[in-house]
Amino acid sequence: MNVTDIAFWIFAAIAVVSGWRVFCTDSMVRASFLLMLSFIAVGLIMVLLNAPYLGIATVFMMAVEMMVMALFMVMYMMNPAGLNPMMMVHQHRFSIAAGVFLFAALAGLIIVTRFASNPVAPGTEVVAGLGKELLGDSMLIFETAGVTLLATMVASVILSSRSGRFGAADTGSVPPPLEPGGEPAGRQPEQGGGHAHHHH
Amino acid sequence: MTTIALTAAWVAFLLGMAWYVAVLDGLWAAAREGRSPRAPLANPLYRCATMLRHQSNLTEAPDLLNWRLAPALYAGLAGTGVALVPFSSTNVLADLDVGIVWWGAIEALTVVIVFLHGWSANSQFGLIGAYRYVAIGLPVMLISMFVLIATALPAESLAIPKIIESQRGFWNVIRQPVGLPLFLLLGLSLSFRGPFNYADSADVAGGTAAEVSGAPRLVWEFARLAMLTAVAAVAASVFLGGYLGPWFPGPMWLVLKTAAVLLVLVGLSHQLARISPSRMMTLIWTVLLPLSFLHLVWAGVLAL
Repeated sequence: MNVTDIAFWIFAAIAVVSGWRVFCTDSMVRASFLLMLSFIAVGLIMVLLNAPYLGIATVFMMAVEMMVMALFMVMYMMNPAGLNPMMMVHQHRFSIAAGVFLFAALAGLIIVTRFASNPVAPGTEVVAGLGKELLGDSMLIFETAGVTLLATMVASVILSSRSGRFGAADTGSVPPPLEPGGEPAGRQPEQGGGHAHHHH
Repeated sequence: MTTIALTAAWVAFLLGMAWYVAVLDGLWAAAREGRSPRAPLANPLYRCATMLRHQSNLTEAPDLLNWRLAPALYAGLAGTGVALVPFSSTNVLADLDVGIVWWGAIEALTVVIVFLHGWSANSQFGLIGAYRYVAIGLPVMLISMFVLIATALPAESLAIPKIIESQRGFWNVIRQPVGLPLFLLLGLSLSFRGPFNYADSADVAGGTAAEVSGAPRLVWEFARLAMLTAVAAVAASVFLGGYLGPWFPGPMWLVLKTAAVLLVLVGLSHQLARISPSRMMTLIWTVLLPLSFLHLVWAGVLAL
């Protein structure tokens, strides 16, 4: 085993263990950053595979993404500020079965697949090659995906922002009913605005 | 230079520049308050000793792992940032093909670590500082990425040594004049100083460091200075030609340019007022970020 092999096993262990811990923790912030740690380890394995741009870009992207995800999850949770301990998994039996099945299927695929072995020659301009690929033959795919993602982001900001062309977005909005076709859930606003009366 | 000598130079650079910034901070603060500074050169060391003698504070139910790791990781990130910077054309500790991409990862991970530092203390002020920092730190990071990509265009490379070599004719600060000022904002944001101190400011009782004392506090404050040093060294390399220059040997030029950038950064952090986070958000998203787009277009047209 040389240094690269040892590094691979260390990163692989970090990726698997932190990925597993995502489902054991009781906090969304911890879950996000454990997932980030798992992805960072995968990114470093990509660096070992002589894909430095993709590997380090993965680290960079995952750090930003998990930071934003942690904040958004905390913002939109029902429990106070999303900071109380909570169960991170649902539908235990189904998810355990699905996990075991998927793991077996993917592991089986890895075992039966004959992987090509054509190592990149040292000194190959991999970063320049990737750039030429992204802005050459694959440009249409990447630009389409990029513009679609940008449009999605802009649209989600417009949909979630309170101030809009037609007044505040939450004007006239009512919470959904608890039963189909029933009364809206929660306390109803009083007629004419002003302070709500307290019902005891 | 051997790797050992390079590593020693790297440690000396980090410690020396952190001390230099602390001295500058003391002198600047004394000058603003109109008093004569007391032992300006030794004062940072006294403060280190004082912090070390303090007890390490503990809050109720903190996330101890993240809380204790955050200062060390922050300092470590600053260290990898300085490692990217070549001392001369042949002496660079981390000669990465994708140096500025790794620098982008450092910026992103810094936001994560400052957030975790504030979050893990389980204290209100820390949490407020952490949230404010993320809101401002992320868009500032975007600006710096556009600015850095612009410096890679004339070099046709993402490696910092190649970006320096591309400045043999003109420094990037001349070719891309808007780049350096925008990048200096990143320096203030990554080490949350002056106008960008949304994480650890006095209005939230010290923010993410409100509950931190003793050795962890010392590491945290050192890491802030080390991160400022890393930003200054990268700025000196990608905008001011790094080790390039006449008469003196390369490493000396790097030290001189880094020291000059640090002087500007310290001046900005003491002279500029901080505005409220929401106004800063508006300024960043509506003025500075579009400016960085235009800057990138300008750099691209110039590189053609």
